[in-house]
Amino acid sequence: MSILNNRRVRDVFWQVAVWAAVVGLLAYFVRNASDNMAKAGIASGFEFLGRTSGIELPFLLTGYTAQSSILDLLWAGVVNTMTVALVAVVAATLLGFALGIARLSHNWLLASLAGAYVEVVRNIPVLFFVLFWYFAVIAALPGPREAIDIFAIAFLSNRGLTVPTPQAIGAFAAAALASAISIAAQIAIAAWARRRRDRSGRGFPLWTSGAVLIAGVPLVAFAAAIATTPWDIPVLRGFNYRGGFVLIPEFVALVAALATYAAAFIAEIVRGGILAVPKGQLEAARALGLGSGQVLRLVVIPQALRVMVPPLTSQYLNVLKNSSLGAAIGFPELMNVFVGSALNITGQAVEIIAITLAIYLVIGLAVSALMNWYNAKIALVTQ
Amino acid sequence: MTTRVTSVLRFARRRLFATPLDAAITLACCWAMARLIEPLARWLVIDATFRGTTRADCTGAGACWVFIRARLGQFIYGFYPADQRWRVDLVAALLIACAALLAIKPLPRRGTLAAGLAAILPPLVLFLFYGGFGLPVVETRDWGGLMLTLFIAIYAGLVAVPLGILLALGRQSRLPAIRTLAVMFIEFWRGVPIIAVIFLASLILPLIVPSGIGVDRLARAVIGLALVIAAYMSEAVRGGLQAIPKGQHEAATALGLRYPATTVLIVLPQALRIALPAMTNEFIALLKNTSLVLIVSILDLLGVAQAALADPAWVGMTLEAYVFAGTIYWLLCFALSRASLRLERRAALR
Repeated sequence: MSILNNRRVRDVFWQVAVWAAVVGLLAYFVRNASDNMAKAGIASGFEFLGRTSGIELPFLLTGYTAQSSILDLLWAGVVNTMTVALVAVVAATLLGFALGIARLSHNWLLASLAGAYVEVVRNIPVLFFVLFWYFAVIAALPGPREAIDIFAIAFLSNRGLTVPTPQAIGAFAAAALASAISIAAQIAIAAWARRRRDRSGRGFPLWTSGAVLIAGVPLVAFAAAIATTPWDIPVLRGFNYRGGFVLIPEFVALVAALATYAAAFIAEIVRGGILAVPKGQLEAARALGLGSGQVLRLVVIPQALRVMVPPLTSQYLNVLKNSSLGAAIGFPELMNVFVGSALNITGQAVEIIAITLAIYLVIGLAVSALMNWYNAKIALVTQ
Repeated sequence: MTTRVTSVLRFARRRLFATPLDAAITLACCWAMARLIEPLARWLVIDATFRGTTRADCTGAGACWVFIRARLGQFIYGFYPADQRWRVDLVAALLIACAALLAIKPLPRRGTLAAGLAAILPPLVLFLFYGGFGLPVVETRDWGGLMLTLFIAIYAGLVAVPLGILLALGRQSRLPAIRTLAVMFIEFWRGVPIIAVIFLASLILPLIVPSGIGVDRLARAVIGLALVIAAYMSEAVRGGLQAIPKGQHEAATALGLRYPATTVLIVLPQALRIALPAMTNEFIALLKNTSLVLIVSILDLLGVAQAALADPAWVGMTLEAYVFAGTIYWLLCFALSRASLRLERRAALR
């Protein structure tokens, strides 16, 4: 009897029993699946990845053609997914920060309008946004001949957004290199300044040097690159635009939908983060004689960021996951080209779904790891 | 009267025109609102058509609400046969009556009654919707609209809540192997897009059951959604579990209670009360995400709106359909989020 009441024996028993049940269930599923697939004559294995796909994609950033393999198709889908998610994340962050700060504004009207936006958007499905932007907004735009022009270089119409493209990228590579060197210089200066301050107590205008080295130099470098590079600017020829790169309507609608939707959630995160800084911290900082800029820079932003980073991470991952809704409007992202088109050609549902889920999981884990690293870093700085 | 006027003026000076910049912001907001509200009001009400029966009646420049009136049945019931729609109405009346009954505070044995209803209602509703035993059968492919949206949300929730509680308990378990299993399960479903899971359920579920057994298309979507929502729900429950002081466990152990009794009698009642607002928020997310079943051609509210656009008799009704469907989603979710806020405040007062 005593052995049944022994805690360690019971612990081991329960753990083994639960795992055995789960593994047994999975084995049962796998056996059924292989039986069913054998009966239906569905092939298994990953040989299909090498086959020619034969599918045309309307939006391409890779060298994929209809003669490429299904593996290349998969890669084109992944690149499209990442592109949409990246552009939408940047747009949502800008809009979300603006809305979150507006919601905290002293101005009652501005704060209420931002609050109304958040309350309206948060309570509507994201798929609604995608369909609405695609079928009701972009489709209702004027045709190319009456397109809305943006500074006479980009044109928004119901055929999408036509943007200029650089004809050479050499200047951009040089600008990127210059930016990298200047950012590295700032990091080195920061380390040196910290050592000197610890040793001698003398300060260093790190923020000024940072503004020059991190923002100023890259800005000038890229501006110079933009000015010196010859651009292919779209021009209206007959019924459509010649030159430039066409961001198809599906892309524009998907980015707009993801950005306007996520911005409402990001606004709440920003507001919560700023409100989470205790009032006493502000009062103490002012009592120490810090100016309002210093209070913001040294006291509010570091503490607010610490609160904001974890929920922001999950919002960014939501944008990535929601980009799969491109499948609903025919944007060729991962879900659409792989679970849609590739599955139609091959019929190998198990392998295709497994690959798709694995890719989303890997991208998600990578983003989480990056944000966790960043979070650990800012947590250290504020200690 | 004068005091009211002065207080309004003081409010305007302090919150709208405190500084020149503030005044500029206020005026810019007013201008933007005027630019936005005027065409919106024109389209929604002033130039809109409310009377009539066909597309030809819509001659104004505004919205054609005739379309919504003509299609209202489809928006609510989908393709449920018109002569059987009383069954859906009956279910709605039944649910409202039960909710009203349970809202009576002094009712004796309210908890037992609620548990009994929770056990009886789901199969009863399923029977009324589907039919059989004398009622004509209505296949699930004919269900649709608002009725289907609520059906999917509630049935997926019925699976997700118990599963989510189990997962949260697993994640908080003392036993490392069980903890690992729960973490793997939760992080997997939270890491993938919901529409991928709905595809997974609709393509893989028929494969992994013994051949010869069919899984209903709607059931697949509900199971897929339930698995994802259970993972999110478990994180809400975990928040509640973590808020329970350690002394509660120790006191229960000192009284001689074992793990199941401690969990069911001591920990869960307190933890669920704390987790209820967060769980409501997950349910709102679920309600919004039911719209994703559109991707496997199950026509819920948004799907019916989308399908109605293809009707040649009603060309160009895109905005009307979306505005109507969006408003219903918004009303449902907004009401729920207010309820969640109230629960939160009540919990904070306790």
